[in-house]
Formats: sequence, C-alpha cells, structure tokens
Amino acid sequence: MLQLKMAKQEEKTKNKSFDLVIIGGGPAGLTAGIYAGRARIKTAIIEEMIAGGQSATTEHLENYPGFKNGVGGVELAMMMEEQAKKFGTEVIYDSVVSAKLEGEEKEIHLASSVIKAKSVIIATGATPRRIKAEGSEKFHGKGISYCATCDGALFRDKKIVIVGAGNSAIEEGIFMQRFSDDITFVQDLPYLTAEKILQERIKSYPKTKFYLGAIVKSINGNDKVESVTIKVAKDGSEIDIPADGVFVYIGYSPKTGFFGKELKLNEQGYIPTDENLKTNLDGVYAAGDVRVKDFRQVITAAADGAIAAHSVEKYLENK
Amino acid sequence: MAVVKVYSTPTCPWCVRAKQYLSSKNIAYTDINVAVDRNAAMEMVKKSGQQGVPVIEIDGNIIVGFDQARIDSLLGLS
Repeated sequence: MLQLKMAKQEEKTKNKSFDLVIIGGGPAGLTAGIYAGRARIKTAIIEEMIAGGQSATTEHLENYPGFKNGVGGVELAMMMEEQAKKFGTEVIYDSVVSAKLEGEEKEIHLASSVIKAKSVIIATGATPRRIKAEGSEKFHGKGISYCATCDGALFRDKKIVIVGAGNSAIEEGIFMQRFSDDITFVQDLPYLTAEKILQERIKSYPKTKFYLGAIVKSINGNDKVESVTIKVAKDGSEIDIPADGVFVYIGYSPKTGFFGKELKLNEQGYIPTDENLKTNLDGVYAAGDVRVKDFRQVITAAADGAIAAHSVEKYLENK
Repeated sequence: MAVVKVYSTPTCPWCVRAKQYLSSKNIAYTDINVAVDRNAAMEMVKKSGQQGVPVIEIDGNIIVGFDQARIDSLLGLS
C-alpha cells in the first residue's frame, strides 16, 4: 500500500520537459500554442482557471473579426484551445508557484511538479484591480464583485453601483440590465471611456444614472452593503447612493508576482519587451495583457501570441 | 462518500474549473445553479456569507472560491 502510494507520488512529481512552456491560456497563450504546435515545437500551455482567462468572463465579444454576430468569450476560447491541441500542444491545468527563467534550462514550478523548458512565453495576463476605499476589504465577496458575468445573478432586482466607465464597466453594466434596472455608474474621470457604441447602448437604458468626476469614498453597511458614498471632485460634495451590490472595473494589475527579480518589470509590474516580444532574459518572451502596451484586447493578445511563438521558433533554431 | 455541492452560475469560469477539477478526480457532486434557483442562492449566502460564486460544500464544510488545497484536504486527495 505504502509502495503504491509512493509510486503514485513519484509519477506525479516526475519532471516533464518541453521546448516551449507558455504560462497562461488566454487568447495570447492559446494563439502562441497554435503557432508553436504548427512549427512542431514541443509545447505545453499552463492554465490555472479555464481556457480564455479574462476573456472567458466576457459574455459576448462583438469586435473579434470574422464573427459578424459576435462570439461568446468562453466559446471563442474553447475553439482556440481545441485548435492548439489539434496541432499537438499540451494543455496543463495547474497553478504556477514560481519560475526560474535565467539560463539555458528554465524551470516552472507547479503545485505538484516541476516542468523544464528551453523557452518560455509569459502570457499570464492581468487581474481586475481591487478598489481601495473604506469598507472595501470588509465587503469583498460580500457585496463587492469584480465579475458581473459570474455573480450578477445574485443581485436580481437589487440596487447596483458600478465603479468605472471603461469598456469592461459598460459591457458588464449592459449585462446587468437583465437582472436590475437600478444601475448607477461612478467614474473618476469627467467622461465615459468606453467605446462610443457601448456608450450609446448603455444610454439607451433610461433609468441608468451616471456620476462622472467622482470617486468612491466608502462602501457602507452593517452585515451587507447598504450604500456607497462618493465624493464629487468639482465641489468636494459627498453623495450617498443606496446600493446592495458594487461591481468594480477600475483597470487591471499584471499577474507577474511569482517571477523573481531576474525578470525586468516596469513600475506597475508589466513586462517590457522588444518588438519581437523578447523580455530582458534570453529565451523568455511575453505576450498579451501582461506586457507593456497601450491597447489590451483579445485581438492584440492573439497577435502577440503569434509573434512570440515565431520569435521562439527562431530562438530555438539558433541554439 | 463525501457529499459535495457546488453553488455556481453557468457564466463563471472559476465555477467551470471547480467542476472540471472534481470530475477529473472522479468526485460526484451536485451542481446548484444559483442563477436560476433563488432559494438556493439565499441558502448559499446564508451558509457562506458570500455573494460570489463558486461556493463549494463538502460534508457541511464551506469553501469559498476554487481553493484546491482545501478541496484536496477535505476529500483526502493528495
């Protein structure tokens, strides 16, 4: 029995080795996996959640070319995953604990095993930035959510405050209309930052309210969220908005926390790359939302994935 | 056999991941879609204090989110 257990353990921790390990199975990582598979590079993608990453929480993508009626975020991701697998890329569902990226042989430490690689593409993406206001820790997961697509149904017929007015905020605001028509947006800038077509669409819901040029000062309540206090920048006045749920879309933080100091990051934690998407380390590339760039979209992530895989192919050929 | 319940919504990626993980370990579970079952949604909020999914219940123990280490420990998976 003990022997069997030990054998099982050994099998689990048995090291695997690849020519390329892609960390992150969002649009960038999956596209890199498609291109690398077709280049006959022995490739693994490591994904902690499900294929698609952030894009899997987007209910409907309307701007991805080729889908004139739009495509579901999860649906597109699943198709990309199947496509990558078809060309021989392996997908491993596990979390990365740490990584050794310097030198010829890279090591990716997972929860239960170590994977070796000749090259790495970092496509870990970003997570929603947490709101910092009085009460925000107390009500995290207890009325404050970062994913209306996930948790929206728990707030049926409730009063909703959405913080932010960029694409994600407005898209999720439109999604939330199916559960509630009492939706108030609070945005620090004095204007909406979402695409014009999304602005038009949210404004077609007559009951939707907007407080622009205002910040969230506190989220209040005893056992559950009861209101949000905002401060208007123009005159310093404070307004209390009754609320049961608060959905937050105030930008993203890159997922680069588990990398060591050898990998160069900018002040916000994003990875700077050259035009071939190489990082400061040989054999290590970055693609998608995790790298320093202006425009973070599914299509720009996919494009990054293709470029990074192409760069890896050249790197491996020249070794 | 442990009694396992997963409170989830169909549009939540971490819920999908949690269910995939349980299936990959051959663990039988009841999937409760709180997007349609309002009573179950209230039950989940009451039990967990959470207004977010997934919430996983294993023999009466509540796990908030996809916490693989806690799932493994409650189910005796190594």
